[in-house]
Amino acid sequence: MTSADSTSEVVVRLTDVRKEYGDTTALAGVSLEIRAGEAVAVMGPSGCGKSTMLNMVAGLDRPTSGEVVVHGDDLGRLDETGRALFRRRRIGMIFQFFNLLDDLPALDNVALAAQLVGVPARQARRRALELLDELGIVDRRNIYPAALSGGERQRVAVARALMNRPALLLADEPTGALDSSAGEQVMDLLLDLNQIGQTLLLVTHDERLAHRCASRLVELADGRVAGERSLERAA
Amino acid sequence: MSGLAQPLPSRGRGTGAVWRAARAAVRRRKLQTVVIGLVLLFSAATTVMALGLLVASTAPFDDAFARQRGAHVAAAYDSTLVSEAQLAEAARRPGVEAVAGPFAQAVLEVPLNGPGLTGGPLNVVGRADPAGPVDRVDLWAGRWPRAPGEIVLNDTPPARDLAGFGPERWQPPILGTSAEIPGGPTLTVVGVAYSLGRTADAWVTPEQIQAFRPSSTQVLYRFDSAANDEEIEAGMATVTEGVPADALLAAQSYLLVKQAVAAEPGVFVPFLMVFGILGLVAAVLIVANVVSGAVVSGFRHIGILKALGFTPGQVLAVYLVMVSVPAVVGCALGTVLGNVGAQPLLDISFQGMGFGPVGISPLVSVATLLGMPVVVVLAALVPASRARRLSAVEAISAGSAPRVGRGLRVQRWLSGTRLPRAVSLGLGLPFARPGRTALTISAVLLGVTTVTFATGLTSTVTRYADATDGNDHVGVRAADPERSTLRPASSLTDPQIEALLRSLPGTSRVTVNLTLDFSLVGSAQPVGVNFLRGDIETQGYREQVVEGRWLAGPDEVVAPSELLGERGLAVGDRITMEADGRRSTATIVGETMGGAPGPPGLLADWSAVGRLAPAHQLGNHEVLYQIQLARGTDIPAYTAAVEAADPGLDAWDNGGTDSFTVAAVSLAAVVTLMLGIVTALAVFNTVVLNTRERRRDLGMLKSIGMTPRQVTAMMVTSMAVLGTLGGLLGIPVGIVAHRLVVPIASGAAQIRVPDSLINVWSVPLLGVLALAGAAIAMLGALLPARSAARLPIAEVLHNE
Ligand SMILES: Nc1ncnc2c1ncn2[C@@H]1O[C@H](COP(=O)(O)OP(=O)(O)OP(=O)(O)O)[C@@H](O)[C@H]1O
Ligand SMILES: [Mg+2]
Repeated sequence: MTSADSTSEVVVRLTDVRKEYGDTTALAGVSLEIRAGEAVAVMGPSGCGKSTMLNMVAGLDRPTSGEVVVHGDDLGRLDETGRALFRRRRIGMIFQFFNLLDDLPALDNVALAAQLVGVPARQARRRALELLDELGIVDRRNIYPAALSGGERQRVAVARALMNRPALLLADEPTGALDSSAGEQVMDLLLDLNQIGQTLLLVTHDERLAHRCASRLVELADGRVAGERSLERAA
Repeated sequence: MSGLAQPLPSRGRGTGAVWRAARAAVRRRKLQTVVIGLVLLFSAATTVMALGLLVASTAPFDDAFARQRGAHVAAAYDSTLVSEAQLAEAARRPGVEAVAGPFAQAVLEVPLNGPGLTGGPLNVVGRADPAGPVDRVDLWAGRWPRAPGEIVLNDTPPARDLAGFGPERWQPPILGTSAEIPGGPTLTVVGVAYSLGRTADAWVTPEQIQAFRPSSTQVLYRFDSAANDEEIEAGMATVTEGVPADALLAAQSYLLVKQAVAAEPGVFVPFLMVFGILGLVAAVLIVANVVSGAVVSGFRHIGILKALGFTPGQVLAVYLVMVSVPAVVGCALGTVLGNVGAQPLLDISFQGMGFGPVGISPLVSVATLLGMPVVVVLAALVPASRARRLSAVEAISAGSAPRVGRGLRVQRWLSGTRLPRAVSLGLGLPFARPGRTALTISAVLLGVTTVTFATGLTSTVTRYADATDGNDHVGVRAADPERSTLRPASSLTDPQIEALLRSLPGTSRVTVNLTLDFSLVGSAQPVGVNFLRGDIETQGYREQVVEGRWLAGPDEVVAPSELLGERGLAVGDRITMEADGRRSTATIVGETMGGAPGPPGLLADWSAVGRLAPAHQLGNHEVLYQIQLARGTDIPAYTAAVEAADPGLDAWDNGGTDSFTVAAVSLAAVVTLMLGIVTALAVFNTVVLNTRERRRDLGMLKSIGMTPRQVTAMMVTSMAVLGTLGGLLGIPVGIVAHRLVVPIASGAAQIRVPDSLINVWSVPLLGVLALAGAAIAMLGALLPARSAARLPIAEVLHNE
């Protein structure tokens, strides 16, 4: 399948990225490249800077120094609005706690991402429906998040992340709030996505998730890259 | 080490813990605390002003009258028919509370054009001092006469100067002027005093009055009961018993004076009531909104407190303390602000009425200081007791647990519309918290009602002032050769004077008014008829017609309401008048709100002079020329030019701000501003709360690419809906209030208001008002919306 090789285009390039919060150094000079089609898992002890790194890539936060280039955009140079527009076009994000809007049913939560960009409601809903169908939860489309199971909520979140066909899918502990079977389903989903060419960057504590989905493992410790290796994906 | 196992020393019933937790809560909610404080500040200030003005305006006459120990009756006796001893004896009878006098009284003929002392017959009383058991007149400038040749005039003191100069600093220009009394001494004005009961026009020493050959004796009475005409008549019957029947020449009841003097402040009361009620309700509503919002948004915090072992009662206490601290501080500062702010309004409102300094009753401050915190505590109690009942688990999850079933259908429908998503999300926000939304809409509604009412009031008052002030800038009259000592007679005829005035640069319009007295058949008193020609439309009489119509022929007259009421006449009546021994008739075809300058008289067309007074020999000094100047004309220069053109013409500045207009307009402006601020704060608070509750949602929306501008648009839209809704509801309420209150107010002033003064609403004006609600709301929403747009996303998303 489309496992990335060294000839693929570079989607993410971090160059000596540092991030300080007051006295705390969250990232102490991280350099990393991710190529199109790769699935990279970031692991490391709590507080080592994994989420911080992911936020840099998502343009949610700016580095104190160093350069973050994603899909050709130098995020350090973009203003708030520029980074918001960047996220819309290039990035899909999923979180440990799903972050769905409670007032909207599953379908509209998914459609939202496209509507923000200005896609008309009807069209956005059609695409959302397709995605929910592909993710196997189309029958839950009219259910509000409160009444969905954890796994279902995470799949709605994944659908939403995919709405605008992002170049890069970011996931921070996507299975962290799920029980093992729901976690499995999400892992399968991510693996499938990567196998059809979706570039993935996931942060996790979960060895199984990393080994199942990722083609490469980056280990962080104390805000630095402590190790890097390719993974044979478990079947 | 067994220290860990030892129980901590207990601090009684945990008051310390409550206090510490409340202090921490206040510190963590700085913004909320500031908002509560500010809302209370402005609400308390509005309340103090509204209540203060209300209290002051209900009884300024009674208060001032009581301070002066005013005379219930000022009686004049024929000194040849009754002795002073008899009068003193009669005044000792039961029912008489106090008596002053007898004082000798005379009528002086003062030359009309004296340098200071003007105005024909002057009712002078000889009194040794301004004090006494009755009618303690307020000597506000100069001193009391000590020697012959000195006189004190009766006049209203000026308003307290806004800059803080009291009347004691300001010297009226008439002070020190003198006038020669024909066949008498020269009198110098040494002081100006004010008798609210109007017992005399002027006072001199008892020795001086003898020189004027007094014909009557004044006695001033206060009775034990004098609330109405019957009681006053009973009192007079007591004191005149045994006095020869013809001896009582006149008895002036204070009730008549009160009716005349109290009319203007009476106009204010209905306006103040409306403003006061609006202010109070808005304050209460907004306080309830702010406080309950603070409690609801603190549910998670409540859960944590409970998990720590706070009892329900202690949780309740934490929240009450948290809200009360800023509330009490804001309330105290607001009370001060209200007192400071209301004083100038009071001064403007009551200036020139001679009530003396009208202050805000300290009771108002006390009531506000005690009442507002009670309102706050009550408003906090409802949600706080909800918090008290909440279990720890419920409370902790309250912040993040999804709410189901509220306005969801609306959100769903909105997400399918063609609106930009940020806008439709914003439109949906208010449905998530219906209670908070209702309170916010009510606040905006009251704000817009206030703005609408105040706008209507301002238009009405301005139109009233325009109508009654006649728009004249300058009055001109030829000197009367028989009375004037200062001016030569003018050699010009009436038409020549008019032509001269019209030719002067700056003259825009001239109305010519000849007032002649007729005896009215069936009425004891004569009636003045104002014959008008020239630019009569400038006077605005036609717009002031409240019943019937304006003049159309020479046998028609129009009468102001006041005259009709006085003489028991009505529109449609045919009246017979007599002058120079000739009788003629005219029909009253219309009733106007106001009339020509001077005592109320009939209005007629100039062409009626020949019909009603054919034998009259017109003297040029009988004619008044009312002149409207072109915009920008310098009035003193113009009057000087008139007098230079013909020294026989007397020209004067007719201007002078109408204190009522100024007072009403400033009142409306101040109250509108205050309630506008309070309303905007209410919206501000709602957005702050919504933002805080929706931090996670906002973070998510931003993570999927919502730009800061879209976030701001969303939050502002959510409030613009409420603003527009509140605005649309508030306008009709304001209009209805205006329609109800204006007739009540004018009724208090004993005038009938024409429709043109009530129908002040035009489509553009309503359009502007409709925007007012949205504008107030958007203004209040903008700041917190922008800070929501800058919310740091990363923490919110990963941690909550
Ligand atoms: N907004 C912030 N302000 C201050 N310090 C922060 C902030 N965000 C992260 N940090 C600090 O930066 C360091 C790295 O945090 P980060 O969240 O990236 O760790 P992590 O590897 O994701 O940990 P975990 O596995 O527990 O999620 C930590 O020491 C943390 O305390
Ligand atoms: Mg993390």
